[in-house]
Amino acid sequence: MDKKPTVAEKVSPLKTVQETPSVLREPVIAPLVTYPIEVVVPEVRQQTPAVGQRATRLDGHLHGLGQTRYIDDLSFPGMLYAKIKRAGVASARIKSIDTKEAEAMQGVMAVVTGKDVPCNSFGPSLKDQPVLAYERVFHAGDGVAAVAAVTEQIAAEALEKIKVDYEVLTPVLDPLESLKLETPGVHAPSANIYQSKIIKKGDIEKGFAASDHIIEGHFRTQMVEHVPLEPHATIAMWDPNGRVTIYSTLGRITLGRADVARTLGIPVSRIRIVATIVGGNFGGKNEITTEPVLALLSKKTGRPVKSVFTRPDEFIASTTRHPLIMDYKTGVTKDGKIQARKIRLVLDGGAYCSWSETTLGKACILSAGPYNIDNLYAEAYVVYTNKTMTGAMRGFGAPQVCFAYESHMDDIAALLNMDPLDIRLINVFSEGSLSPTGQTLQSVAIKESLLQAAKRFGWNGKGSADAGANLLAEENANTNMVRA
Amino acid sequence: MVTVTINVNGEKRTASVPPETTLLRLLRDDFNLTGSKLGCDVGDCGACTVIVDGKAVNSCLMLAAQADGRDVLTIEGLATMDRLHPIQKAFEKYASLQCGFCGPGVIMSAKALLDENPDPTVQEIRDALGGNLCRCTGYVKMIEAIQDAARILRDEPVEINR
Ligand code: FES
Ligand code: FES
Repeated sequence: MDKKPTVAEKVSPLKTVQETPSVLREPVIAPLVTYPIEVVVPEVRQQTPAVGQRATRLDGHLHGLGQTRYIDDLSFPGMLYAKIKRAGVASARIKSIDTKEAEAMQGVMAVVTGKDVPCNSFGPSLKDQPVLAYERVFHAGDGVAAVAAVTEQIAAEALEKIKVDYEVLTPVLDPLESLKLETPGVHAPSANIYQSKIIKKGDIEKGFAASDHIIEGHFRTQMVEHVPLEPHATIAMWDPNGRVTIYSTLGRITLGRADVARTLGIPVSRIRIVATIVGGNFGGKNEITTEPVLALLSKKTGRPVKSVFTRPDEFIASTTRHPLIMDYKTGVTKDGKIQARKIRLVLDGGAYCSWSETTLGKACILSAGPYNIDNLYAEAYVVYTNKTMTGAMRGFGAPQVCFAYESHMDDIAALLNMDPLDIRLINVFSEGSLSPTGQTLQSVAIKESLLQAAKRFGWNGKGSADAGANLLAEENANTNMVRA
Repeated sequence: MVTVTINVNGEKRTASVPPETTLLRLLRDDFNLTGSKLGCDVGDCGACTVIVDGKAVNSCLMLAAQADGRDVLTIEGLATMDRLHPIQKAFEKYASLQCGFCGPGVIMSAKALLDENPDPTVQEIRDALGGNLCRCTGYVKMIEAIQDAARILRDEPVEINR
């Protein structure tokens, strides 16, 4: 066995390779295998062992000790501090930006403006958001210039030395105004309505004709900021090999890398994003904000650069929840069965698209509420205005429409002089109901939940008081569900 | 520049800082005590709460120079190498923190309360946390944890209530 290989044996592999017909030396491509796709679908309403367990958070220990490292708790040798100058005007043309005085300040290491950004647009769906506003300002929170300095104080002072000359334009602030065709486009020549969705089911005209009452309701919600306790924070480090490492509070780093690559004009492979522990996201940290700016400042100075949003930045320059204007019209029979519903939603999209597409879709799909409505027409539009951009926030539009359809249900109940609980019990989804978009619903326990809730907080609404109790008995007889 | 000497977590420390430096910045940037957080810098959120001479203060609203010669306790000074402070233990047990950013401030407010009032009512705990905002967890679990810690600090037997 331990015979030493002879020279001839040593060369033989090479010879073998050389003598092999070339077709056999082609790279081997594995044949396409179609795997049997067996997805284990749990039984409807099956309880997993996790439910009801007490779990202690693994990170709770460090949190309590104050030892969790958020971005602002990190620092690197030679690190600079960046500040962003905000436009402070809702709509304007930028005539000139003079950064000379700021650049000359002692301690200021670099200043960048929109013209320094290789590709000055990004966004999770439409790429309509500039990294730093250049030529045009679309909302007051737009960044127009950024400074990196040896201390935060110097950076803040330098911002005041930057002179921006604006030609102020009339902003579009009202979403209903923006919806009108004659209103000038916020992002002209693009239209102000930048996404829409229509859901049709049955025939609403027939439904309204078959109704005893037709009730209208108009609802509005306001803009809401996430207010994560930890403001957006970033540290960027451009290394001499042309790679950039970014520590960021970003929640979606893969998407963020693509946006950073696009805006900086470098391959994704040169970008490393380190996601640290985040002090609250709630949807507000789902896309990049100043990451490319910091990367450019770091490239320009050769030093790590950190920036932390101020609380005002957080309010004016990060995304918010879409304000919605919601018009409802519902036809019901006199005993409370909904025959038809017509809905129009107008979402105030603010200056940029961000996650409007998702929000619009979800709001529209959910706008009819968890009710069986055979005849439905729901339309939703999201429009640009010169306001802080709106984006993802817990529920993507669901809380807004929930407020509207549930308020509307209460109004209908009041008009029919019914118990608000009863009108819901009459109309809610049950097992196998079809959603407005035709999806068969499983694991539906709305009735049971409503009745349990009513029982637990001792609901005694006006109207037919035992409708609830009867339904509960009926439901319990019809299902084999076990509920505490 | 002003020279500031404070007794922080039982240790005398000195730094020379620009006069506008807040106590929070002094602790974080000069003493590397990053447990106290900056959430708003204007006294609204309480993430920066530390205890100065026995009183909970927003360290973003106090100049470093105002703290000169005083006793400052931060979250880092609460635990010892081998023992968590009962409040910290209770916060862990009750999962009173999610992202944790508000935690150091909340815990310091609770500590200041329990030092002064070992048996606070729920309302008194609420009042003590009045200056601390939490966006993730809410306050119910914090109040439970603080009551639990108060019982331990009073040497009463504690029963786990769920
Ligand atoms: S940072 Fe001091 S109260 Fe918010
Ligand atoms: S745990 Fe996130 S703010 Fe309190």
